[in-house]
Amino acid sequence: MATTLTGQGRPGPAATQAKPPKPATPRRAALPLILAAGLALLLVTLAVTVTIGPANLALTEVLRSVAGHLGLPVQPVETIPDAIVWDLRLPRVLTAAAVGAGLGLAGAVMQTLTRNPLADPYLLGLSSGASLGAAAVLLLGWAVLLPLAAFAGAVAALIVTLALARGAGGSLTPTRVILAGLVVSQLAAAATSFVVFWTAKGDSYQEILAWIMGSLAGVTWTSVGLAAGALAVIGGLVLAYAGRLDAFAFGDTAALALGVEPNRTRWLLLTAVALLTGALVAVSGAIGFVGLLVPHAVAQLTGPSHRRLLPVAALAGAILLVWADTIARTLFAPRELPVGVVTALVGAPVFALLLRRARGGAWN
Amino acid sequence: MELTLQAVGAELGGRWVLDGIDATPPAGAVTGLLGPNGAGKTTLLRIIAGIMAPQSGTVLVSGLDEAAAGQPTPPVPLTALPRRQRARRITLLEQESACAASFLAREVVALGRVPHRTWWGSDSDEGAVERALDAVGASHLAGRPWASLSGGERQRIHIARALAQEPKLLLLDEPTNHLDISAQLSVLAFVKALGITTVAALHDLNLAAQFCDHVLVLSQGRLTAAGSPAQVFTPQLISQVYGIDAAVLTHPETGRPVIAVGGPAPLPAPLLELQP
Repeated sequence: MATTLTGQGRPGPAATQAKPPKPATPRRAALPLILAAGLALLLVTLAVTVTIGPANLALTEVLRSVAGHLGLPVQPVETIPDAIVWDLRLPRVLTAAAVGAGLGLAGAVMQTLTRNPLADPYLLGLSSGASLGAAAVLLLGWAVLLPLAAFAGAVAALIVTLALARGAGGSLTPTRVILAGLVVSQLAAAATSFVVFWTAKGDSYQEILAWIMGSLAGVTWTSVGLAAGALAVIGGLVLAYAGRLDAFAFGDTAALALGVEPNRTRWLLLTAVALLTGALVAVSGAIGFVGLLVPHAVAQLTGPSHRRLLPVAALAGAILLVWADTIARTLFAPRELPVGVVTALVGAPVFALLLRRARGGAWN
Repeated sequence: MELTLQAVGAELGGRWVLDGIDATPPAGAVTGLLGPNGAGKTTLLRIIAGIMAPQSGTVLVSGLDEAAAGQPTPPVPLTALPRRQRARRITLLEQESACAASFLAREVVALGRVPHRTWWGSDSDEGAVERALDAVGASHLAGRPWASLSGGERQRIHIARALAQEPKLLLLDEPTNHLDISAQLSVLAFVKALGITTVAALHDLNLAAQFCDHVLVLSQGRLTAAGSPAQVFTPQLISQVYGIDAAVLTHPETGRPVIAVGGPAPLPAPLLELQP
């Protein structure tokens, strides 16, 4: 090694002639290829999962129904299958896709900003805050206000967490963020349990439980709009910061040396992904494991560079949640399993596998 | 690039860790920053990197701009420059830098391009990463996972990352830490051959004597000595700063000072207290 490093004069291509470099084996697939494959897989997933359910529909019926609603000249579908596709199943799979994409994206950003592989989108106490808001209105019988109350609960939790985490001179360090999130999360969870214990009777138990464990039952086109809108706005912002997120890899000082102000970036992006998560929780409840697992699994394919990781994590989260929700609504039909149960049952073993595979790697 | 420190002082936790530092590290040369643990070396490097603002005094830089390289430009305070512009011209390699993500060596080098990217991620110079890998003779490591590299290989990749940043000023905090003697020599010889204005915090007096054109000696936050290694490294200074006895010899081939520690002087004070 000394021969090349101590090369005389200003080192350039000549310095390496002494030891011709072996061609590096590129282990990373090209991004356009991954994105194209992921997008194709997502479209197939959406089309196929809409056909799955108690009333079996053919793929052609689904496509004709969608095309008809988009105003394309096709042979119309009968009223009932058309209603199943357009009013029930399509909003549901689209909401699942938007929520899954948002969770994958938010999880990846949280893990980077806190330099913690265990971080997930609910790190700032968001799911517990949202649950508290939701439980409160469900028990008051104001179910129509549920998404609003859940979002308000998530935002309240976010504000308390960030206020607690704020350090000297407005700094926002990973450890303080994690600890403050833990405090708020535990407190809100205890308060939710207390509210439920004190007032819940009969069916409302089941309703609250389903919501706390995450469920996409009963979503409408409004839910699609909320989740997809939040994803588009905040996802766009986060993607614009992808290059700067890379600078966090070696810590805050290294980020500063690369021209990225870690505190300002953390304030901005933590707030942004927390608002996104709040919107998603309001639509679907807190669905666990997607935001934790997807970024780790995707990083095996794309590497940790955020310009590659973030879009692929969004696609993978979407595909995963659509399938998980399809299982949740069909496995014990007509009863619905909360989708959070499915994601945890699938996610935990996959995570265990990743942990075993990465024995010599980055998690030591 | 020209660098001037004027009465730089820094306070950390109510204590002045740096006080009244005046120095002019020569342009295009390697300046060694020496001193015992806690003398303020790392803090001074952070101030020069623009990562920490000094509580008193100023750091002036000139010749940062590519366009004005030929003609003398008036020195400007470092703090007046936007952070990204500083990051395109000044790079700091930290002493310890752990990384949890599963980067490949090439991707670590590519981090050096962050300040040069536009917000949508395109880079003005796509070849910079490969050139930097080439320059440190590490092209063969490009596809290796970061976790699988040895300490010396990691240090080389870190230097490649710094080069990919295309610095005019290179700041190194203990660049030879954890390296074997041959790797220490090759890293320093390499840095010297770059011809970039460099300030390197070093612990090894002999390495500093052999490779540095200029040395600054810090002691308890103050600048105790500055000059060429031959001027600075005297038995008196070493005894005053480190509290040890040393003989200063002359290298038979390079003519540079060689410091031989030990001798009849008493043990350093803290160790004396441990004596039964």
